[in-house]
Amino acid sequence: MNEAAPAIFVALEGSALGAAIRQSSWAYMAANVGHIVSLFVFAGAIAVMDLRMAGAFAATSPGKVLHNARRVVILALIGLVLTGATLFTAEASHVILNPVFQFKLGLIALGLLNVALFEFFTAPKVRALPPLAPMPAGARAAGILSLVTWVAVAACGRSIAYF
Amino acid sequence: MQRAFAILGALLLASGAAVAHHGWGSYDAAKPITVAGPILTSKYENPHATLTVRGSDKVWTVTLAPTFRMENRGAKPEVVAVGKTVSAYGYASTVEKDEMRAERITVDGKTYEMR
Repeated sequence: MNEAAPAIFVALEGSALGAAIRQSSWAYMAANVGHIVSLFVFAGAIAVMDLRMAGAFAATSPGKVLHNARRVVILALIGLVLTGATLFTAEASHVILNPVFQFKLGLIALGLLNVALFEFFTAPKVRALPPLAPMPAGARAAGILSLVTWVAVAACGRSIAYF
Repeated sequence: MQRAFAILGALLLASGAAVAHHGWGSYDAAKPITVAGPILTSKYENPHATLTVRGSDKVWTVTLAPTFRMENRGAKPEVVAVGKTVSAYGYASTVEKDEMRAERITVDGKTYEMR
């Protein structure tokens, strides 16, 4: 327990739930494995979506690619959040003070902001585009920013243990 | 252009993998130490079990392994219970004061690998 952390995180780590996760022989391990599997699925679906927005796979319909990949992305994101919350709860007071974790949270916020801006401003323009139509600059930028952001999030996630 | 971004992505992934080395980086592997003495406290918890051990010089925090691995290797909670005498071979932390990470522990004449 790191008492220097804000009280809510000290309380979270000290909670019965936190203790249960740490003391279970499988919970922490299952969350760890589930997190990496969710990340794998998330990254695959995000890559398809982002590369399409950036102009790759031009012969496909961008609207269809977005629609199909989004379902997988959302499911994987739910998995990431649930397993990530489990890992975080077990060590909340330590992890919240970890500089790489803080940077990762900032990157996640950036990634989600990119999603919101894309959905609001760019996606409506892209959905009806036929195959082989040039992608708007906004879609290309959003796709590339998304790829870079989420890859960086993954790199930060794995690095938390080493800082 | 697209190919350039694919390469950029691959490079970022590779650099991430390189950074994520292993969890022993902040321990001084050049100077192995052995901490031997009675176990004062024992936390059989994830991500790593930890003990406090009254060594010959001071009380050490001894970081062990994930509990699932310890169970698999026979180092069950009763093996590292309070009051047992343990000998932990490993490396002192270069970050945390009075903490060491055990490569292996010996209790009651039996040695358990932690790595």
